[in-house]
Amino acid sequence: MPGVDLNIPAVTVFLMAFGTIMIYSASSYESMIENGNPAFYVNKQIVHVLMAIVAMYIMSLVNYRFWIKWAPWSIPPCLILVALTRIGPFKYVVNGAHRWIRIAGRSFQPAEIVKISAIVFTVWIICYHMEKGEADKLSGIAKIMALCCVYALILWQVTDNMSSAMIVGGIGLCLLFVVCRSYKWFMLIGGCGSAFALGLIYALKTGLISPSGSFRLARIKTWLDPAADAKGYGFQTLQSLYSIGSGGVWGKGLGNSIQKMGIIPEAQNDMIFSIICEELGIFGGIVIMCLFIFLLYRFFLVAQNAPDLAGSLLTVGVLSHVALQVIINIAVVTNLIPNTGVTMPFISYGGTSIIFMGAEIGMVLSVSGRIVLE
Amino acid sequence: MTRFNTDMQKKLMVLAMFILLAFMILAVNLYLIIRDNGEAYKKQVYAQRSYASTPLPFKRGDIEDRKGSKLAYSEKVYNVILDSKLLQSDEGKYFEPTLETLKETIPSLDTAEIRQFALANPSSQYRVLAKKLPADTIQPYLDAQEEAKKEKTPLNGIWFEEDYKREYPYGSLACDVLGFTQGENCGYFGLEEYYNDVLNGTGGRSYSYINEDSMMEKKIKAAGDGNTIISTIDTNIQSIVEKNILKFSEEHRNEAREGAGAKNIGVIIMDPNTGEVLAMASSPAFNLQDPRNLDAYYSAEEQAQMDDEEKLQACNLIWRNFCISDTYEPGSTAKPFTVAAALEEGAIKGDETYNCGGALDVGGHTIHCHNRLGDGPLTVTQGIQKSCNVVLMNVAFALGREKWLKYNRLFNFGLKTNIDLAGEVNASLLVFNEGMGQTDLAVGSFGQGFNTTMIQVASGYCSLINGGYYYRPHMVSKIVNPEGATVQDIEPRVMKQTISNSTSDKIREMLKAVVMEGTEGTGYTARPAGYTMGGKTGTAEKVPRNKRNYVVSFVGFVPVDNPQVLSYVVIDEPNVPKQDQARFATLLTKDIMTEVLPYMNIFMTEELSDTEREELAAMQADFSLNTDALRVISQVAVDENGEPVEGEEGEGAEGEDADASTSGDTQEDTADTAGDATEGGAPSLSVGGAGVLDGAEEDGVTDESITHQINYDPETGYPIDPNTGEVLDPETLLPIEGGGSFMD
Repeated sequence: MPGVDLNIPAVTVFLMAFGTIMIYSASSYESMIENGNPAFYVNKQIVHVLMAIVAMYIMSLVNYRFWIKWAPWSIPPCLILVALTRIGPFKYVVNGAHRWIRIAGRSFQPAEIVKISAIVFTVWIICYHMEKGEADKLSGIAKIMALCCVYALILWQVTDNMSSAMIVGGIGLCLLFVVCRSYKWFMLIGGCGSAFALGLIYALKTGLISPSGSFRLARIKTWLDPAADAKGYGFQTLQSLYSIGSGGVWGKGLGNSIQKMGIIPEAQNDMIFSIICEELGIFGGIVIMCLFIFLLYRFFLVAQNAPDLAGSLLTVGVLSHVALQVIINIAVVTNLIPNTGVTMPFISYGGTSIIFMGAEIGMVLSVSGRIVLE
Repeated sequence: MTRFNTDMQKKLMVLAMFILLAFMILAVNLYLIIRDNGEAYKKQVYAQRSYASTPLPFKRGDIEDRKGSKLAYSEKVYNVILDSKLLQSDEGKYFEPTLETLKETIPSLDTAEIRQFALANPSSQYRVLAKKLPADTIQPYLDAQEEAKKEKTPLNGIWFEEDYKREYPYGSLACDVLGFTQGENCGYFGLEEYYNDVLNGTGGRSYSYINEDSMMEKKIKAAGDGNTIISTIDTNIQSIVEKNILKFSEEHRNEAREGAGAKNIGVIIMDPNTGEVLAMASSPAFNLQDPRNLDAYYSAEEQAQMDDEEKLQACNLIWRNFCISDTYEPGSTAKPFTVAAALEEGAIKGDETYNCGGALDVGGHTIHCHNRLGDGPLTVTQGIQKSCNVVLMNVAFALGREKWLKYNRLFNFGLKTNIDLAGEVNASLLVFNEGMGQTDLAVGSFGQGFNTTMIQVASGYCSLINGGYYYRPHMVSKIVNPEGATVQDIEPRVMKQTISNSTSDKIREMLKAVVMEGTEGTGYTARPAGYTMGGKTGTAEKVPRNKRNYVVSFVGFVPVDNPQVLSYVVIDEPNVPKQDQARFATLLTKDIMTEVLPYMNIFMTEELSDTEREELAAMQADFSLNTDALRVISQVAVDENGEPVEGEEGEGAEGEDADASTSGDTQEDTADTAGDATEGGAPSLSVGGAGVLDGAEEDGVTDESITHQINYDPETGYPIDPNTGEVLDPETLLPIEGGGSFMD
């Protein structure tokens, strides 16, 4: 495939390699204590990265249209996988959360598969309505959005994983935004969302509603004033801020984080960006953000030049997915939004997320390989 | 087929702008964080870094006796710590099993209360549930924990912190010598205080730090245990001494007044050739395991009435070591020092004869002998033997004030002996100084008017009888480290030569005459059957004079020719109607020495008479070297008034121009022997001097001599004091009218 944009795999592999190094740095101390092996996590992650690269390569070879065509058929197996987190012999409960299933000693999160399936399915349904010329009408928008929301709601309610549900919903919203000519509906949605958020904040601040009983409300209250609950919900956020703040502009040097030593729990996961900032400074953090921006820019180019609508939308879906995860992740560690568990693509530790992310990149590569230069 | 049209491209551009905007907001926010809070967060990061530094306790060294018995040691104990956070971690899966096991294995803990606390304080990580539990109490829990680990239902949230507890296995034995500890490592009194630094080790620490690989590394700097001290005390001798003190105290309990058998009783047993103290004891004893318990001395009501200050005072009286902390006038036991000085200086040759008329006029005062009727002409040896004050005054006058004072210092009176025990009193203001007058010299010659401690007198005697070598008295012979290697050997140290060998020989002969010449000497009752013994009695009149309160004492050593052991017994105000009888001290000496000498493998050299044989056989049955028995005894008694003598006699030194004390040894059977009083013989020295009134009396067996006559009161048939004309009680030889100090 002569047309494949090699910038994309290059940046992706670079981010994965960089993530692996950061995982080693962030996890070795705790891992040494827990498992007696400082490389416990990094060894596993290296395998994940290799699997992700393989997945990316395979997906780049497969024609993306194949996925779009069969997209509706991805729904039933995804729903079954989601259901398996609650019932059946494969459910795997960690810390009280029903997010995993475990088969043959390997656990993974159905939510990651749901995300890729949501992208493909949403693209399919938009294309379907486009063919009929309904996509730009209110009924079409409502239908598409409703389907996305149902999917997201199922994910939320069954796996109790709101962040994944939000990302699924967000991807759908982004795709619709691109497809529709109109702005008003999105301004309306944005306005309603903002009003709801502000109302909630106001109510929490003035004590109109009490966060007792709901950990989400408690998290939102903590977000407003993390120091008030420094030992409880606010702990992780505050420690993450301390990490970033103590790293300064240039950081303490690779491997020199102090916060990773038993202060930030599982620093190799969602909070890895704060360790990056502590060790490499906000300089390092911004360099990573720039790499992501570059990657998104290449996606943008692919989407603009894709041979067909499905290819463009698929690329936009992946673009939105990566952008949403990066933005939410960094916003959480800097306390711009309430704490919610979203991983940093390619960098955070975790097998399912990186492999399926690799697969998504592979699909974009497949699109880019079919661009016909004029 | 639809394509991605221009509208969509525009909207994608808008989406991209939104995303870029979001990234920029994030980047700016990052910058704001480090700009506004960077320094504060940097500090916070270091501040919350707990380097988990926990102190590790050291083991305080042991105190062993000369045979290796442990008199004091520190035992490892455990504090039970609750980590409430850990206990309730992992959704409370440890909570019930841990508390349940705790309840079963350590029943002394109140599990209900622990549960309540843990629930109320879920973030507490350090709470001491119980202190100083012995290892075998917590072992069941540790076993259960091990068991639970195998069954995969681990226990969590309870751990044990090491600590040490000071133990005194013999209870009250040698309490005054050992002292005790507070907070485990701070010694109070005795060896515990004096050798506090030696006994204490250095605390250890367990801490973590970040090493070069940025890994948290845990380090343990082990605690350095304290050194062990080997005392010169012999537990068995100490037991014998304490047993006999207790026996005396109980025999005379409530005899003349409420309370124990004496205000205080002190005994020191020493090796005169090294200055090592083999035993040292005083009454009352206290339990080292529980030094603040006053139950044995005060009733509950009395204790309820005392405030903290008074309680502390009462405790201090009990904790005091009479042998080194209290001073008193030594009385006639000081006479050999005067004679030794005179012999050494050539002031007398030793073959002089002085005429004792029962009293001597000095500086306007009549100083009596204990035997107010006088003993007639006496040699110096007889003067010692019968403890004649007149002879001693004459010897002292021959020696002169300056030289007497020089020897007084040489024998260390007024100076600390620097024995290695905490609490030795400084008596430097309680002795004569250059301003002493003739009267001071007169009374000083027989041990009145200046104060000494028991250890001073005992150490001085060692030098008198061992050839003149003054050893620093000491309680510790060796310091060994926890591995058992010797850190320091404390050899006997000769401080000075007090007198020459030949003078020492002569003194020993004189002191032999006190004990060994039938019933002639004042101290014959002290002799343990089968041994040769030398010694000297003392009966010192306490201040205020005329109250007939006495300190009776006896110094003895065995065998006479080559002294191996010296004992010094002091009884302060024996609880008897007539206190001025040295036989209380001599009999106590005999009881102690009869047991100690065979134990020390000192063999009998004299033949036993039949009565002695029977006595010994009877005593044999009572001998108990068993320390268990002793432990029981020593904890029983000691009464309310058993306070040790404070330094009241202290006034004696400064105020001795007003009154000085008497000494003189008594012999019960002297009274009725009477001759004619001489005309108060002796050279009439009337020296003015600073010293004012003082008289001395001398005890004595009456020896009929040609010049010695006694007159009797025609009405009562009682003897008349040849010096004052007072009618004397034939029993006590003290004036019937009252008074009766050695000095008028």
